[in-house]
Amino acid sequence: MNAFYFGTHERRLWGIYEAARHAKANRAVVLCHPWGAEYIHAYRSMRQLVKMLTANGIHTLRFDYFGTGDSDGSSTAGDLSGWETDIQSAIDELKDTTGATRVSLVGLRLGATLAANVAVRAGSVVNSLVLWDPIVSGAEYLTELRRIARRGSLLLKFAPARTAAEDGGHEILGFRLTEPMASAVRRIDLAALAPTLPHRTLVVVSQSLNSHASLHCALHHRQTPLAIEHIDSPAGWIEWPIHHPLAGTVPVRILQRIVEWLA
Amino acid sequence: MSDGIHDQAVMIGARKTLVGIVTQPVDYEPEDRPVFVILNTGIIHRVGHHRMYVSLARALARLGYQVLRFDLSGIGDSESREDGLSLLDGALADVREVVDWLVRARRARKVILMGLCSGADQALVYGISDKRVCGLVLLDPSIPPTRKYYLRHFLRRLISPKSWLNFLTGRGASWNKVRKLLGLPYDDAWERHRVNLSDPTIRVFLQNAYEQLMDLGIHCLAVFTSGVQHQHNYRRQIFEAFPKITFNNSFRLEYFAGCDHLFTSEADRERLFGIVMEWVRAATFAGQAAAEPTRNRRSIASHRTTCRMRFNRIRRM
Repeated sequence: MNAFYFGTHERRLWGIYEAARHAKANRAVVLCHPWGAEYIHAYRSMRQLVKMLTANGIHTLRFDYFGTGDSDGSSTAGDLSGWETDIQSAIDELKDTTGATRVSLVGLRLGATLAANVAVRAGSVVNSLVLWDPIVSGAEYLTELRRIARRGSLLLKFAPARTAAEDGGHEILGFRLTEPMASAVRRIDLAALAPTLPHRTLVVVSQSLNSHASLHCALHHRQTPLAIEHIDSPAGWIEWPIHHPLAGTVPVRILQRIVEWLA
Repeated sequence: MSDGIHDQAVMIGARKTLVGIVTQPVDYEPEDRPVFVILNTGIIHRVGHHRMYVSLARALARLGYQVLRFDLSGIGDSESREDGLSLLDGALADVREVVDWLVRARRARKVILMGLCSGADQALVYGISDKRVCGLVLLDPSIPPTRKYYLRHFLRRLISPKSWLNFLTGRGASWNKVRKLLGLPYDDAWERHRVNLSDPTIRVFLQNAYEQLMDLGIHCLAVFTSGVQHQHNYRRQIFEAFPKITFNNSFRLEYFAGCDHLFTSEADRERLFGIVMEWVRAATFAGQAAAEPTRNRRSIASHRTTCRMRFNRIRRM
């Protein structure tokens, strides 16, 4: 394991590279985290996924987007296009480190959607793509986030709305969703991207969303049709209360499916 | 980083398996200033809930302090230990390795340990065992209940619509206790995860720990929130829980009413950071320089075994 910073002086990113234990071929995966509280709670599952991937002969690089986790930048400094640039930097870093000419991307929630955008632009450099419970519709995601924020507001007397001087927006479970970021998220439409996704793409979900209907349709009508795989598994990005049966659980079945598909 | 501070990734420990980040001013020179060491909250990695430890570390670095955030073994990016130590003993061994490393590699002389919930408990237990620890920042540490606690607890439940709804529908803790007494099936999930802080052994253990804290003159900032109602529910509970201890000027108590356990509101976090920075600037850590790493543990060692069950439970936020 190698923990380090990479990227530019203006945009230093935290990363952890873990080499394959027994590399059969030069296969390498960049993992793309979700955002906000989902990032915090999914960290454990992403780490477990890395352990399984390296045990199956795949090099991995996890990293934090600018303004998130251990990377430089304040929590309001991030934006979706910048984070896609960060994914590209991570791809370049992993290629440099391993000598691989092509890499795979695995993204969870917002990280999946960002990974999809990067994969489409990167062309053959990304040879396979895993979209794990991706954000399909930005509007749907924002509705979910605001529902969570309102619940917090009622129960914990939060004041989630931010002033215009603070870029507006809301506090969502302790993270600021600024208005510029919300606007960018609102434009997310993964179904529109479906025709151009890489040939080797796995879409795996543990939750059913209304937006899955449009994604399913778009994936089905591709030149090389894809399907959404639904696996009954706990959501790896939700923190359950300590007395909840799912507290501290890792979505093992989803992780196994991702590793099996990539390996 | 452009504002005069710098983050550095470090791998610590004999096996280089503890992953951490050192944040410090670009022109940092080790002097007599203590180094902050921030411990994990439950199983959440070193970033902390809402990225709060990153923000705090950078704020402290701007004040001129060096801060280390790291993952205990088996949490975040740190590998699990292979020596079979219990969770508590493993955590304490990790902290010792980290403090040793700070002294050896970073020329630190004194450290301030900081933690929330389980992290606060670990900081307290370790802090009284190592002379190099000159300060503690304890966020919602475990303290025993008092008579006033129970009174407030039951009054709150009496006026809580949820409590009445549970009572009328046969749900909740009270009915579970009745079912347990009657030998009927009951939901033991909450019971399994909740530590009984009224247990006399634990009460004595904590009393000894705070007593040593005062005897040793370790500066302590204790912040309690109203977000852990099953453990504490009023400002002065710690004083009334340990009436025999004289809490002197080295102990500062803060109570955040209307704040949840995880400081989820940004306003609460900003208030907390302000208090921590004010506290560290006001405290004088003179005379705390290390000579021997290990203090006379007095009764801690003997109590550790009996309290292992309590501290070995991973407390998740």
